[in-house]
Amino acid sequence: MLQRYWFGDVDEEGCRAAGTDPAALAERAAALRTGMDSFVPIDWEVARDCGVVRTREEYVDLLRSVCTTLARKKIALSYQGRDVELLQMVRMLDELDNVINLLQERAAEWYQVTNPSFSRKYRSLPAKKMLGIIRKGARGGLSDAAEEIDRLAGTRSRLMREVSARADEVMPNTSALIGGLVAARLLSKAGGLPALARMPGSTIQVLGSERALFSHLRGGTPPPKHGIIFQHRRVHNAPKPVRGRVARVLAAKLAIAARLDYYRGEAVPEFLKDAQARIDEAGVEAS
Amino acid sequence: MKWLGNVLVSPGEGGVYGERTLEGYRVWDPYRSKLAALYTLGGGIELTPEIRVLYLGAANGTTASHVADYVETVYAVEFAPRPMQDLLEVARRRRNIVPIMADASRPEEYAPFMEAVDLVYQDVAQPNQVEIAERNLAFLKPGGHLILMLKTRSVDVRRDPAEVLAEARAGLERRLDVADVRWLDPYHQDHTAIVCSRRG
Repeated sequence: MLQRYWFGDVDEEGCRAAGTDPAALAERAAALRTGMDSFVPIDWEVARDCGVVRTREEYVDLLRSVCTTLARKKIALSYQGRDVELLQMVRMLDELDNVINLLQERAAEWYQVTNPSFSRKYRSLPAKKMLGIIRKGARGGLSDAAEEIDRLAGTRSRLMREVSARADEVMPNTSALIGGLVAARLLSKAGGLPALARMPGSTIQVLGSERALFSHLRGGTPPPKHGIIFQHRRVHNAPKPVRGRVARVLAAKLAIAARLDYYRGEAVPEFLKDAQARIDEAGVEAS
Repeated sequence: MKWLGNVLVSPGEGGVYGERTLEGYRVWDPYRSKLAALYTLGGGIELTPEIRVLYLGAANGTTASHVADYVETVYAVEFAPRPMQDLLEVARRRRNIVPIMADASRPEEYAPFMEAVDLVYQDVAQPNQVEIAERNLAFLKPGGHLILMLKTRSVDVRRDPAEVLAEARAGLERRLDVADVRWLDPYHQDHTAIVCSRRG
């Protein structure tokens, strides 16, 4: 029975070595497929008798360099997808949001201590305005910090546009249905386009509401109607009685869209037209 | 294996992941490593200089590096690219680790690199952990051992861990003899170590 190993082919008649160059061996080994039923584990001494190596140490060394070369290639390949960078971009964006909110809150707290007339009224101002007031009113560290937060906010909005544009390009169908930003957030939650494309609509519907979902599964609480997709206007603007339906229909169409994005990689107008109509229809309340 | 008082240590070059050293040995922390927890609780299979190990789910190679300090060769299988990068670095410094980037549930992908091993150690966060173990038995010598770190929460978060364990145990007993089952409390919650041996 012929056995194909990383160092060569072995059968009853003997062994044909495949050379000793790690790069060439790696390339050959990458294409090998073994049926597990007929598989016989390697006896390293066969590799020695075959003339590939002389000692056990050499055997392990050569095997290590072949495997390392292969692993490096696979790692590079897995980072090559256009979705991989988008993933990092969205996560950076969400972290920035967190950080900016935290800093802003702290700055307001601080400013309030130094300035008694800064009351709740100012707190409800848009962040940008509030920061402006603090920047002018405060001195030293607080003023610097406020300026820095302002700059971060600028970075955030530029990054947001970048994310949106990249999402349009990487996942055109999904983005067309719910907008680039929310599409990118779904991608980030799923862990990549291949993962998102393999998810059922029902999972996509509740991505991002894991806490509510698992508390429901453990018993008692009502199931979540929507996770991240709530951020899309057609879901959060829908009247309450039909919101669950909109979320469900949208998620089902997103599942198809994600597959189109992953396997075809281009916008499919016919699908989008039908899907948009179907989603809009779901949002109409029965009278 | 080497104990300093009741602290498990391993001989080897330090500085793999910022582990402490004690009298020149690397401390193998039971709170970080499930395998160390198993040994600390008095179970496990003695690691000796002549054995070969297949390590499924090697992750960043922290536990794998300790195993490599004791045994002849470690075949370390990991699927995710990020931890694989760390594992490659660990393998670069330890000449007896063979890093394999493959899916542990698809042994046909890495079979062409495998010799028979004395111990299969499996620590993967998958719902079908028992099935994965079964598929990898082709690499285990008769009389060899399997240590399965059963993450009951990965199998099913909704079910009682004890129930999950009972089912896993029944699954393993189809082809193996279960020698020892231990919960890893207080070091790791809802994790069980199942030690089996392959019928000769």
